[in-house]
Amino acid sequence: MKVFFPILCLLLCAASVCAQEAPPQPVLSAVKHATDGHVWGALIFATNESEKLTGGKEPEHADLPKLHERLAKVFPYKHFEVLGQHRQDIFREYESWIVPSQDLFMKIDSKGPAENEGLNLHLQVWRRHQVLVKSDAILRKDSPLFIGGPPWKNGRLIFVVYLERT
Amino acid sequence: MKHPSEEQDIIRWIDGEMNESECATFEERLKLDPALATEAQKMRALSASLRSHLPAEIRVPHADYFNTQIEVRITQMALDEARSKHAATSWSAMFQWLTQPWFALVGAAALAVLGFFLLQPASPDDSESMILSSYTPNLRVQARTYHDHDADATVLMLDGLDAMPADKHISGVNIQRSEMEPELASTTMYDEKGAAVFMISHDSLGNPLISPEG
Repeated sequence: MKVFFPILCLLLCAASVCAQEAPPQPVLSAVKHATDGHVWGALIFATNESEKLTGGKEPEHADLPKLHERLAKVFPYKHFEVLGQHRQDIFREYESWIVPSQDLFMKIDSKGPAENEGLNLHLQVWRRHQVLVKSDAILRKDSPLFIGGPPWKNGRLIFVVYLERT
Repeated sequence: MKHPSEEQDIIRWIDGEMNESECATFEERLKLDPALATEAQKMRALSASLRSHLPAEIRVPHADYFNTQIEVRITQMALDEARSKHAATSWSAMFQWLTQPWFALVGAAALAVLGFFLLQPASPDDSESMILSSYTPNLRVQARTYHDHDADATVLMLDGLDAMPADKHISGVNIQRSEMEPELASTTMYDEKGAAVFMISHDSLGNPLISPEG
């Protein structure tokens, strides 16, 4: 016991010295901001002419099976192609942007949680420097929002927003 | 004991209600039947005695009161009849407003309200996304919202938008992460490989500014 106590003190002193000499934690370049949810947004091209497809190879969302079939029930087109997609935190205090393409994108302001795992949002769909629509909405899991956008190449651009989690 | 028919004949004979042949026949019987003759004479005497002691006409006591009561009763009956008719008229008058022109308008409005509540689509499920309001700054653009049950999706349809130029190349990106700098009011987007793709901020008018511009 007499031998064990000095050794323990020696170890504690050594540990203290090591701790003081340890390098400081790196400062994170980006602070983790509070969020209210997480969404997936996609820009989709709908057309009846397969030759007009751009050849995009973006995969379907795993939690949105048969997205193309569901889109076909709303939009009268045969082919649907995901041009771009964007996963985004919905910041509680700041605006959030969903930019699957620079040509058509969305600004989201959180207005807090809604019932049944929903999220109250203020949405703005932008086409470059022009806002196309401003909308207040409740987005809920497993219930995507389809926004019918501008025509393009005898087809139509569609914006899909899906709440992945809150 | 007299037979009832004999007593009746005596009364008719006394009162002079028999015709000549009846009277002659009855008087022949009286001659042949002394008991009947005695009885007839007694009754004739009694009748004569009564007539002699009673006035020919008897005034109705309190005739005015009697007549007044009859008139009152007739008046009451008339009033009762009038009331029953009035009640029937009032009952029909109660529903007479149904035939008024304004009722047609009110009825139509009520039916419209009822139809609105009965025919409107079922209220949105609490598990569905909802568009609460929408505003399109461009007046030529119309926003329609509905829930498509077949697609199990909420739809915000923008009609009247100008078409994108057909020769314009619209490219998409795959953004998996973003970092926001509140001090700079900017957000940097990163792709699935962690490479910064672009940054979005605001111009002097508050419009989104993407750089580098694609």
